[in-house]
Amino acid sequence: MLEANRLSKSYGSVPAVQNVSFYLEPGQVLGYLGPNGSGKSTTVKMLTGLLQPTDGQVTHNGKDIHNNLTAYRKRLGYVPEEANLYPYLTGEEYLDMVGILRAMPDPRRKSRIDSLLQLFALAPHRHISLGSYSKGMRQRILLISALIDNPDVLIFDEPMSGLDVTSSLVLKNLIQKLSARGKAIFFCSHVLEVVEKICSQLIILRRGQVIAYGRTAEVLQSIGQSTLEATFLQLTEGRDVAQIANDIVEVVVA
Amino acid sequence: MMLNWKIRLRRRRDAFVGTPFGCLLRLFVGRILHGGDGNGAEELGLGLGAILTLLAMPGLLVSLLMFEKYGSLIRLLRGDGIFDPFTATVPDEYFFIVLSMTVTGAAALWQWDSIFLDRRDHTNIIPLPISLHTIFFANFSAILALAALFSFDVNAASIVLFPVAVVGSNGSFARFCQFTTGHAVAVLVASVFSFMSVFAMAGCLMAVLPASVFRRVSLLLRFAIAVVFLSMLASVFTVPSLLQRTSVASAHRIATLPPVSFLGVARTAWGIRDPFVTTMTKAAIFAFVLAALILVITYTLSFSRTFLRIPETADSGPLPRTRFSFSPLAPLHKAILGQSSQRACYHFVVRTLLRSDAHLQVISAFVALALVAAAEALTSIRADQFFLVRHMPSADFLSIPFSLSYCVIVGIRCAFEIPSDLRANWIFRLWLPPDDQHARPIARRVLLALTLPWLIPACFLVTLIFFNWATALLHTAILTASDILLVEIVLLKFRKIPFTCSYPTFESHSGVILIAYLFGFFLFTDDLPALEHWAVSEPLRTLCFVPLFAIALASLYAYRKQMLDMDKHLIFEETSPSAF
Repeated sequence: MLEANRLSKSYGSVPAVQNVSFYLEPGQVLGYLGPNGSGKSTTVKMLTGLLQPTDGQVTHNGKDIHNNLTAYRKRLGYVPEEANLYPYLTGEEYLDMVGILRAMPDPRRKSRIDSLLQLFALAPHRHISLGSYSKGMRQRILLISALIDNPDVLIFDEPMSGLDVTSSLVLKNLIQKLSARGKAIFFCSHVLEVVEKICSQLIILRRGQVIAYGRTAEVLQSIGQSTLEATFLQLTEGRDVAQIANDIVEVVVA
Repeated sequence: MMLNWKIRLRRRRDAFVGTPFGCLLRLFVGRILHGGDGNGAEELGLGLGAILTLLAMPGLLVSLLMFEKYGSLIRLLRGDGIFDPFTATVPDEYFFIVLSMTVTGAAALWQWDSIFLDRRDHTNIIPLPISLHTIFFANFSAILALAALFSFDVNAASIVLFPVAVVGSNGSFARFCQFTTGHAVAVLVASVFSFMSVFAMAGCLMAVLPASVFRRVSLLLRFAIAVVFLSMLASVFTVPSLLQRTSVASAHRIATLPPVSFLGVARTAWGIRDPFVTTMTKAAIFAFVLAALILVITYTLSFSRTFLRIPETADSGPLPRTRFSFSPLAPLHKAILGQSSQRACYHFVVRTLLRSDAHLQVISAFVALALVAAAEALTSIRADQFFLVRHMPSADFLSIPFSLSYCVIVGIRCAFEIPSDLRANWIFRLWLPPDDQHARPIARRVLLALTLPWLIPACFLVTLIFFNWATALLHTAILTASDILLVEIVLLKFRKIPFTCSYPTFESHSGVILIAYLFGFFLFTDDLPALEHWAVSEPLRTLCFVPLFAIALASLYAYRKQMLDMDKHLIFEETSPSAF
């Protein structure tokens, strides 16, 4: 369904992503991990068509997404890393705008907005401007806007940022249910426990290059670690995190 | 019938905003009015109604004054004979053209950051299934719609009232229509030109410069444009008479400049045909078309060069700052700011003031006003042939530092009211005791530190160069005392750490505050220098300032002493005053 084929992106002479390839089938959840600056956001921007790759291509159902970006985006739901919304619009107005821009017919748009606002516990705040929303509320608005038009492909970039416990649990279950309904989900996150639990496939990135790719259990097994946290640290961090914490305490109490 | 018409109109509007183009157009109009993705721009956001009222007020006030000037009874009492409105109103027509350009230009400058699409628009809209053409034309239409709305709003009162005042009582209906048409076309075209020129300049810079450089120079350029607009406004006293006095060749050169050339549009519409008017009209049309053309080109360039490349540019964030390793005022700060919390607040205030675009905009506007007022005074001095012969400064000369200091102090004081990201004020809420009364001393020191260190030496040296030691010392001493008094007055009820408190009182009383500051401006820059001029002519007379300032300071001290302690406590949330 969604395929990245030898994707590379350089900013000037600095390579941000090099030769990233993967295939995302309907019903799969692909976890995308990496430390800060490893090229995760650049990959997400290329997958959503926001950035043109320097080399390689992204295909959707076998066709380059840049051949018909509008048609591809009609089938795409995207939750960006940062909830940078229009503060003067209310939650309902924002979702209505997204629905109109997705060319959703009136009755369907309005009923979806009503139902999703209820389910995401935002109905009482629907007429309040987004500027007054908490970070978690804005994140829920972004989730609704990604799901509103029943997309085939979902790209989540740090979707749990700012969510409370209940909302996080709902989202975890929601991703599993969506994948069971045949949605292809690209899940970019720093919350390793969640990735370990919900992702069927895994990619770990370091300095723009894929250092591990495969089924989650297979990746853990190949590295010889029992948890994703240990695997991630072994692959990406050369430093001893316990020692760093110890050093910080020494500075604080000195 | 009326109801049906209204329902049909509403349905059409709903159907239009239900289309992707209509939806985007509404969104972009809103984002331009509410401010872009700037640093705390939302804090300065006013509603559409408030913006339109503010923009319409200057035209309305000036138009009302025209009834007094052109009333038939007044003209009869003045003994005016034959009255030809098309020639008699040239200075006022020029004034309306300049006023409409200045007010519309100021509105465009205010919206400078939100004209073009930014990172937030990119994040929210580009991932949706919308063609780039739709986004491009929707934002361009939003700019044009706002240009039309602002231009109409700024000039609405003068289009209706000015013709009524001039030809309402003594002309035929045809004459009234002819006058109205000429005036309306001239001021509307001038307004739209002004709006387009500002946007064209922003677009040019955006298209040519890298984003980081654009951010650095945009405030400076806005300041320069504001000075140009204010200078244009100041030209209303000289240009009309200059046009009559100068030779034909010189007049032709002046007439091709934009504010003057729009007079030609009005005169052409009034049916006045001569080569001079034709030259003016042609120049106006050329300037208008050129501005429109540049706007279209730069808008297209900035859309493709800047907006579409946003994902490739790292989030620029705050501009990097130069670190000063040596501050000559540092030892002084330790001496005058005894407590560490005072010093921390002082540094926070000064840094916010000098780094926040929104606050610098406010101060720049006041500094521009100060420069224009000073330039006006300098023009008067230049016209005074006996300036250097008299050995005593004229009131105009003495008023220059007063104008500069008044505008800077009042500008900073106004900026203090505008919050800067209120979510960040928790640090002060957490650490400063609620009964803290240090807000006023901190604000006072900031005001004095940003005014006196440059103003006192400059004032002393300039006065010394033109006059003598005694005059320079007296003038500098009076100016310093006046500034200290002014600072005490503007901070009389001040009880917040600048930028950390909401400002509903300031918002709801902004009209009254504006009038008070305007009244204060004339008192400080007109009456005070006149008094000083009288005193400096006989140095012993300057002693009169001692009791004057002493009484004023004592009154302020007494007023504050009788205030309740709770009215002096530090606040972070200001409640809007009740209507009753």
